[in-house]
Amino acid sequence: MDLKGRASHGLHISPEDVQRFCEFLYRRTGMSFTEAKRYFIDRRLEDRMTATGSSSFQAYFSLLRADADHEIEHLINSFTVNETYFYREDHQLRCMTSSLLDVITSQKKPGGTVRIWSVPCSTGEEPYSIALWLMENWPQVDSYNIEIIGSDIDTRALKAAAEGIYGDRALMRLSPDLIDRYFRLVAHGGHQIDEGLRNSIEFTRANLIDSNDMAPYRDFDLIFCRNVLIYFDDASRRQAAENLYGCLRPGGYICLGHSESMSRISPLFRVARFPDAIVYQRPEADDG
Amino acid sequence: MADIGTPPKVRVLVVDDSSLVRLYYMSALEKAGFVVEQAINGIEAMEKVLSEPFDLVIVDVNMPRMDGFTFLRSLRCSAADVAMLPALMISTESGMQDVAEARAAGANFYLVKPVADTELVRHVCILTGVAL
Repeated sequence: MDLKGRASHGLHISPEDVQRFCEFLYRRTGMSFTEAKRYFIDRRLEDRMTATGSSSFQAYFSLLRADADHEIEHLINSFTVNETYFYREDHQLRCMTSSLLDVITSQKKPGGTVRIWSVPCSTGEEPYSIALWLMENWPQVDSYNIEIIGSDIDTRALKAAAEGIYGDRALMRLSPDLIDRYFRLVAHGGHQIDEGLRNSIEFTRANLIDSNDMAPYRDFDLIFCRNVLIYFDDASRRQAAENLYGCLRPGGYICLGHSESMSRISPLFRVARFPDAIVYQRPEADDG
Repeated sequence: MADIGTPPKVRVLVVDDSSLVRLYYMSALEKAGFVVEQAINGIEAMEKVLSEPFDLVIVDVNMPRMDGFTFLRSLRCSAADVAMLPALMISTESGMQDVAEARAAGANFYLVKPVADTELVRHVCILTGVAL
């Protein structure tokens, strides 16, 4: 689509307005957008202005700052990227069952609780993948009380996650046998994940860069935080890393996306190399 | 894994407070042709066995509100048709005392977690009289 054409037909926003808007979004979410992402910004702003009946950017921005009708939440929902699929980056899932859980459970009694957090969980593909992978690949799955929590800043995505209905593209990495056993066909060619699986995962809203938001999330043994830090600037990444550190129990692990490196973000974590993946660990003792 | 064909439908009740464990057992048993229902603790399990017919109950030990031992003792004190229901107890506890307590409470067989899906199906087949 023609970027200039779109801007001239639809929105009339000055570069200064874009900057104000981006600053607002950054303060609220840590997501860092610049003029270079103008097309991305314009498209979402246009959608929200139409939805709210705003006649100008100024009118919309006033409404946004007043948080009329929870517009901040609607805006955040429109700016988050929710494109993912089951068994994405499965080397990390393999690492979980072939290495990480052995270490984690070596310090627990059988019957103890293993806490796993998928954040951001988007529309649920990742936490459901973790549960499926555990049932299919971890021989000790019945020996521990496994708690899987999926959190996201996008409440619309969380609602979709709880419903658990997916198209073919999201299931492309799953075998027909798995799809047959854990999904049922619903309207419009969708596949709804098993009710038991839906009930086994708790979905909650959380903002990675908000320390207050993150405070209730504690004592996780393993966190999957993949492909979100790339949307943050350096300061927000550091804040997110500090928050995630506090959410892990000492000795707990965190998996990042393939293009992300905790070493470049924060010195708090230790690199842990396993045959299937490189992950990061909160040291056992805070020895500085 | 055993293939038991379609009829007769053998009904198994899985009682465990962990949703993932219930799902894991259910998945293995349904794949083998069993009809599986679930309960999250002893209280819910008692309601189920009193209202629906089952051929076997698989029960965990440590559960909130009503544990597996209490459930089995209640089950064995119920009306004759319900009291006769075979019970497979599966627990992370592996001590001799735990096994003895399970037997005393009324368990027909005791397995220590982790239980592989093939092992589970094998024991369920034996306890329900289904050909392996």
